[in-house]
Amino acid sequence: MYQQQNQPFLSDEDLAYTVLCDLKRVVREYATAATEASCPDIRELFTKLTNSTLTMQGQLFQAMQQANMYNTASPALRQELDKQMKQYQQTKQKTQQFLQQKTGGQMSQSMYTPSVHQSQSNQFQQPNYQ
Amino acid sequence: MIQPMTAKELEYVADSMSNEDLLMKQNAQVAAMATNQALRSLCSQMIQTHQQHYDSLLHAISHHQQTAPTQPQQ
Repeated sequence: MYQQQNQPFLSDEDLAYTVLCDLKRVVREYATAATEASCPDIRELFTKLTNSTLTMQGQLFQAMQQANMYNTASPALRQELDKQMKQYQQTKQKTQQFLQQKTGGQMSQSMYTPSVHQSQSNQFQQPNYQ
Repeated sequence: MIQPMTAKELEYVADSMSNEDLLMKQNAQVAAMATNQALRSLCSQMIQTHQQHYDSLLHAISHHQQTAPTQPQQ
């Protein structure tokens, strides 16, 4: 009709972006379905499908990034990181006190364990803000 | 004895198969139309995975067919 033979109607970028958007949406739907499942086997199925779809979404995103279809997002500024760090260290301390009063609470283990850098060493160390 | 699937679960399973079906077709389109070779091959691979997802969802329904009540329950 309007489209000439063998000539794509959409650019590579638009084609890929359409799929990426749907993968993102489907990841959310699978996660929601998993939380609302009552049969253990159905919950497990939706959990697996969430992970599998999330993997594909990541692969497509990387392929698009390598093809320069994505502008690199601008990095957060150091002072913003410092600000949030300070604020949430304070929140954490208050909550820790609250938990200790109520339950005699325990130290938490970080789930953030990057493979590069000095990961473990300063995990629980308080930063030195003057 | 397997627990019967809830009506809500069935809705999610059915909607999910529609999603997987659409994604298969979208990926086929990218695999056929895109000029970027890496994108084409990735999308061809993803078709297989969506097919697996679809089959798993279909299998879940068939697995629950026997335990599904034939009369509405209160």
